[in-house]
Amino acid sequence: MNMDFVAGAIGEALSLRSFIGIGGGVLLGYIIGVIPGLNRSVAIAIAIPLTFYMSPFIAISFLIGLSKGTAAGSAVSAILLNAPGEASSAATCLDGYPLARQGRPKTALKVGLFASVMGDILATTILIFVAIPFARVALMFGPYEMAAILAFALVFIAGLSSGSLFKGLAAGGLGIFLGTIGLDAQTGLPRMTFGYTELMDGMPLIAVAIGTLALSEMFVQSERLRYERDSMSVKLDNSDKDKLSWKEFRRTIPSILRGTGVGTVVGALPGLGPSVGSFMSYGMAKKASKTPERFGQGAPEGIAASESADNAVIPAALIPLFGLGIPGNVSAALLVGAFAIHGITVGPLLLRDEPELLYSIFAGMIVASLIMLVLGWFGLRIFAQITRVPPHIVIPIVIFFCLAGIMLQGYGPFGLIILVAFALLGFVMKRYDYSFVTFLVAFIITPMLELNLRQSIILSRGDPMVLMNRPIAVFFIVCTIIALFMLAWRTVKKGKPVAGGDPAA
Amino acid sequence: MRQNFWTGLAVNAFALLALNWIIPNYAGVNPMAQMPPDLVPRIASWIMLTCGTIIVAGAIKDLIKARALPVTADIDWPAVGWMVWPFAYVFLAIYLLTQFKITHVGGPIIAVMLFLLGERRWYMILGCSVVPVALLYVLSVYLMRVGVV
Amino acid sequence: MNKKLITTTLSTLAIAVGGITAAQASDWPERPLTMVIGFNPGGSTDIQGRVLANVMEDYLGQPVNVVNQPGAGSAVAFTRLANNTDEGYTFLFGGTTALTFTPIISDVDYEIDDFEYLAALAVGQNAIVTSAEQPFETFDDIIEYGRDNPMTYAQQTALDQAIIENVAEEEGLDLSIVPTGGGGGMAPLVLGKEVDFAYSGGTHAQYTPSGEMVVAAFLSAERSPFYPDVPTLMELGYDYSIEDYRTIIVPEGIPDEAREALISAAEYASESERFRETTEDNTFFPVVFIGQDEMEDSVRRIRAATEEVMGD
Repeated sequence: MNMDFVAGAIGEALSLRSFIGIGGGVLLGYIIGVIPGLNRSVAIAIAIPLTFYMSPFIAISFLIGLSKGTAAGSAVSAILLNAPGEASSAATCLDGYPLARQGRPKTALKVGLFASVMGDILATTILIFVAIPFARVALMFGPYEMAAILAFALVFIAGLSSGSLFKGLAAGGLGIFLGTIGLDAQTGLPRMTFGYTELMDGMPLIAVAIGTLALSEMFVQSERLRYERDSMSVKLDNSDKDKLSWKEFRRTIPSILRGTGVGTVVGALPGLGPSVGSFMSYGMAKKASKTPERFGQGAPEGIAASESADNAVIPAALIPLFGLGIPGNVSAALLVGAFAIHGITVGPLLLRDEPELLYSIFAGMIVASLIMLVLGWFGLRIFAQITRVPPHIVIPIVIFFCLAGIMLQGYGPFGLIILVAFALLGFVMKRYDYSFVTFLVAFIITPMLELNLRQSIILSRGDPMVLMNRPIAVFFIVCTIIALFMLAWRTVKKGKPVAGGDPAA
Repeated sequence: MRQNFWTGLAVNAFALLALNWIIPNYAGVNPMAQMPPDLVPRIASWIMLTCGTIIVAGAIKDLIKARALPVTADIDWPAVGWMVWPFAYVFLAIYLLTQFKITHVGGPIIAVMLFLLGERRWYMILGCSVVPVALLYVLSVYLMRVGVV
Repeated sequence: MNKKLITTTLSTLAIAVGGITAAQASDWPERPLTMVIGFNPGGSTDIQGRVLANVMEDYLGQPVNVVNQPGAGSAVAFTRLANNTDEGYTFLFGGTTALTFTPIISDVDYEIDDFEYLAALAVGQNAIVTSAEQPFETFDDIIEYGRDNPMTYAQQTALDQAIIENVAEEEGLDLSIVPTGGGGGMAPLVLGKEVDFAYSGGTHAQYTPSGEMVVAAFLSAERSPFYPDVPTLMELGYDYSIEDYRTIIVPEGIPDEAREALISAAEYASESERFRETTEDNTFFPVVFIGQDEMEDSVRRIRAATEEVMGD
């Protein structure tokens, strides 16, 4: 690493113009992320025309800042309203919302913010100092390895659902079923689209995620209004209760470090995506905890695990992008477009031809994280007040933004119908204790798993001996089998086939 | 238990529908493929069918133990109505959105729902319905530049 | 009144800046236009479209707003465009595959005759690619190598799969074809040498500069100006091609003044430095200007040829 470049790069990252650019990106992303129903694609659509008028460095930093901002912002609505903006923040809800309801919204937001920023900075550091030379490692993960990892993720996350195992599996089955809708990759022919052009790419993930996560929650809360109208808004008192003590924060550090690790690995492998990262991290934190029963009841470690992984994915997805030219996920792919507008081809050549730009971008990413910290620190004081707004006012507004988000992203009336259909499904699942987490994760993972499995079978020509040369794949297959056995063991141990009560009966 | 019975039954019904009608008619075939297009949907349906059956069986066992019958539940109709009306309302809103733009009818949609949820202060209703719509207008027309949605 | 004044000033300015002397024949357009992109923001069509919108805006003197309607490789956007009655104020910019290929294999609610093809501005760069670390480089090498070894190929569409299957049959190759589901999935397979060769719809532009990926042959009708040494499949003696033009498309039967204004705006854009720079240097699509008469014929010719390939 040439020190001149680094000095120049840091200088550029610290100039006033770049501060405004990066800060603008973070702020825009944060605000869009906080509003349930609007998400990263809306923010990107706003941002791309703006980047026409920026220098390459500012434009790229602006977009990276935007990604970070939306990731952190969607955690806010996940924690305060139980209505995450993106599927990757759904894991944050599991403990964030209970903690906020216990009258500690600021604590929940702080844990989320610190975990985000730490995950972010650590993963960026890994990106800068370690990862790019090792980006080629990602190429060792071919279809066999990806199929094995995805299968493991599916079983592992399915095992997380705290309720009845069979209800969880039924929900997962439905997710798998709906995940197979769309063009069949091999024949190119429509599969279960019922002749609707709109379904050819599958059920639009954005409509499914907003429907099952945010919109359904509004219906759940509107139903609850009938019974507990008065008790639903949290009385915020500025007492000591809503403070994050050092002792409490120290307990979340292992979760943050683990989450960063998981997020970095998931981000560096092209195609996995942040949802897999945040749920895997949440699951591992729960498995590692001495008191796993606290998870789902407002454990700060749960928030920390999910948020750190969610944010670590963003810089990590740039590892294969800068190392190999392969974007690690959708938001990294968008950066390719942004680079192209400015006449830069992203890839390993960037390090050779324009190292100064690359190091400016790295410096810009760190600056973005720090701005995120400051912004979030002040933002959470304001946003925590949302919990004081009575739900009967929040509900119609959030429903409006959910509908508007679908229209803004060009999905039209068909998208709206999918949105509400999935909101209904999510409502039924939440009310009758079917795990919507398992459902959503199965829905997201299935298309990738099926594709990689198909590729593996075709490439191996049906010969399982190919796996002898694939130790990584074998490792994850063994993990999957162990996870399956543990699931089965849990069922047997509980003795009763239908475990978990009927809380509402 | 009663809920387990009925939801389990619903899962089974969907799985049977999928296996007997959706998959044979719409999944398509590819005899050449090592993994035909209907394989994964079929596996998923069998998972649902198996789990649904176990859930229903468990519920029946519990119901017998409790000497209750699933159909004799006294349904609290007002509660069901309260549960259902927001969905009906949103479907109505979607119908309106196919006819008009969300920026034009969004305000009234929020206002009526606020009123139905029990808000009676006119200034709250006005503010809460005007501000989000104005925000959306700025977002779509000036920031995203996709025109009025 | 005021608006009108600003509009006129803007268009005068645009004409002055653009150096175009011919006065615009009519007042069209009188209000903002909408450009539909059938893909998500950030892809090559989106980038080209946004720059194009920017340039057309200068020429037409009205804002050109870009709207993304993603889904089914633009088929969703075409379905909606077919029912659009905006008299030319809404137009689509994108490739023609959704018209020349998609209707053959799936049931869509539009046909070629529902639209007019005003002007093509960029030529698609469909190619066969392989990794630089493989023991073969040209398409002939691949065939030669494949006569003695079983080969693997990564497809992206049913069309390229059909073409390669035909070639493999003609040459007697033992070929397994792997689905990838898109350009993003192809690159790791090729660079990781999981497959021997693959189809690329344009993604290769990101990997050829570093020398990691090699273009073995083009599927387009003509050679690419960026890879002048790489032959087309036609030149190699296989009678197959995948032609694709990034075209300005409107619903059939728009007013004449709208048609004329859009076509001259397109011509203006094809000569603009900005559009050319973005399209050629950054997304590696050669900029052209093909007028309406020729495009109407091309689309129908490509469709007929595609039907023939897919027929067997």
